[in-house]
Amino acid sequence: MKELKLLYLYPDMLELYGDYGNIQILKYRMEKRGINLKLDKYSIGDPKPDFSSYDIVFAGGGADNEQSILSEDLIKYKENIKKAVDEGVFFLLICGAYQLFGKYYKGVEGNIIPGLEIFDYYTEAIEDRKKRCIGNIVIEAKVGEKETKVIGFENHGGQTFDIKTPLGKVLYGNGNKFEDKEEGFFINNVIATYLHGPLLSKNPDITDYIISYCLERKYNEKAILEKLDDTLEEKCREQLLNEFKKENK
Amino acid sequence: MYNSLVIIISKILNLFAKVLCKILKKDNGNMLGRIVKKLSPDILKYLKIECPVIAVTASNGKTTTNNAIRYMLETNGKKVVSNKEGNNMETGIITTLIKNCTLNGKIKADYITLEVDESYVPIIFKKIPLNTLVILNFFRDQLDRNGEVETLILKINEFLKTYNGNLILNNDDPNVARLGRANKDNNNVYYFSVDKYKYASTYQKEAGEGKFCPFDKTRLEYEYYQYSHIGKFKCPKCLYGNEEIFTKITNVDLENQSFYEDNIKYYAKADNIYTVYNFAAVISVSKIYNLDAKESLKTFKLDNGRNEKIKIKEVDTIINLAKNPTGANVSLRMLNEDNEEKELLFVLNDNPADGLDVSWIWDINFEIKNVTRIVTSGKRAYDIAIRIKTSGFDENKIEAYLDLEDAIKALYKTNIKKYVIANYTALQPTRRKLQEFNKK
Repeated sequence: MKELKLLYLYPDMLELYGDYGNIQILKYRMEKRGINLKLDKYSIGDPKPDFSSYDIVFAGGGADNEQSILSEDLIKYKENIKKAVDEGVFFLLICGAYQLFGKYYKGVEGNIIPGLEIFDYYTEAIEDRKKRCIGNIVIEAKVGEKETKVIGFENHGGQTFDIKTPLGKVLYGNGNKFEDKEEGFFINNVIATYLHGPLLSKNPDITDYIISYCLERKYNEKAILEKLDDTLEEKCREQLLNEFKKENK
Repeated sequence: MYNSLVIIISKILNLFAKVLCKILKKDNGNMLGRIVKKLSPDILKYLKIECPVIAVTASNGKTTTNNAIRYMLETNGKKVVSNKEGNNMETGIITTLIKNCTLNGKIKADYITLEVDESYVPIIFKKIPLNTLVILNFFRDQLDRNGEVETLILKINEFLKTYNGNLILNNDDPNVARLGRANKDNNNVYYFSVDKYKYASTYQKEAGEGKFCPFDKTRLEYEYYQYSHIGKFKCPKCLYGNEEIFTKITNVDLENQSFYEDNIKYYAKADNIYTVYNFAAVISVSKIYNLDAKESLKTFKLDNGRNEKIKIKEVDTIINLAKNPTGANVSLRMLNEDNEEKELLFVLNDNPADGLDVSWIWDINFEIKNVTRIVTSGKRAYDIAIRIKTSGFDENKIEAYLDLEDAIKALYKTNIKKYVIANYTALQPTRRKLQEFNKK
């Protein structure tokens, strides 16, 4: 039986917006196809994980307070994480985790939370605390061979700058910054985005891209994924895209 | 002078509003307050309040607890003014008080009891006096509207720094108990707690907030969890979690709907642990004001849509509100504690009052027992259907209908017992459509 290993970072701290759902969806779509998902968790106080030994690393969004506590912890593994990214381990990073993989996060008071500096984007909090990019969002993205409309929900005060390879073009919503044209960060083995929802719940194409990528990397052969019954997902997407189109007019 | 005039005008408006709302078939819960607030933004300051004001705030359980306090006071023969319909923001509270004041702004009552939205506590009680504040719990709730829970708690903490009235706190929620230290000079802080119940667990079953000590950021240790992050916790470093308990509920028996407090046996319609906590708060209030709660809790009925048991076309149907993960988890716990075969209807909307973000449904623990079919509806019928499917429930037994009438019709194709869970704006339309269907 084929198996993929996933490392879930800070499950008790980066879990504010139901992002854990992404793992449940990965597991669901893998198990339907007879692939096992082995899930390991890492949080503060646990023994040092070997990032390179995993196929997928996942981290979500958390409360501001908790994010500053864990950034100190995460930085201890900077070299190990960098190596894993270079070796092609897949990283799915949502919201706060997206920010932590950049150069830094600058808070409202000008305080700097250093990032992992794996990628060279950076994030600054918007001065007005009450102002946040909040709402439904749709982006047009190309992951692998497929172009797809990615549907999610954004809720972030941080504005992320210097993205050279965004995940997609914004069709509806804000994106990396207020009224931005672009959302997220994407390279072959990294999807970093502000999209909650959770991201994978309404975007089976993205989920299947991640699964194919990891299988191909691990087993060194073309992965052909069995088609699943996505009637509910398709109806959901159709309904929401129509709804947002109406609101946009 | 101007404000006296505003009160007179608003009294006249109230008369018109009643007629108007009847014609328009609209709920006038906030309308009067909205108009009055435009005319005089600080109108609350000019009302003459001479009786004690008791307020309840929380993420979950405000309406039930406020109504149980009101009912307890009334059972003790007191005249009470209360926002019993749950209009808990400033305009709703203005509406309640204006409707119940004399032409010169005096509120004629022995007590005022108010449920207040968490973020409105500092705003309302800058303007009117407060004698007792009850805080039940803080859970993640509508993050896109309320922001992070921590932000809300800090706002209330700031308000409490200068508050010296009675403060009744849930000792078993680390996010609530911490507020007892906001003002060291306040000698009127009272903690309530509920002893470990049958379904408590040693690990956290549902997403929650209490993970780190608010004072030194150490990870909290739990002896047990009652539900979500409510339970017996302790900070291993500073020993936070060791408060003196004013009201301690023991021997919780959900089957026979009874519990003990201070050697008195109470019978109350609490068939879930979360209502027991609400009643612990009610008993605390009764003790502070030297009143009796035993008789009133025995006859107190939960509000519409709060574990409401009805028959639709002869089929047993239980309706519950769930506006956040904790609410939904508590409803599903009750469903799991019932061994009969059942079918579930879940109605999910994403209107502004619900929060536009529905990702909270992924924080619901969907391990369900003896459920043979699930129907979903509401504006986000498909989102909740996908959520349930991913939890492992057979996708062929899930039916999603955007239209609520279609969903209800499909639900009652069988006469198996029904559980209905609806979120905030979905609840009343669901109750109404069920009744209409029943009459057909």
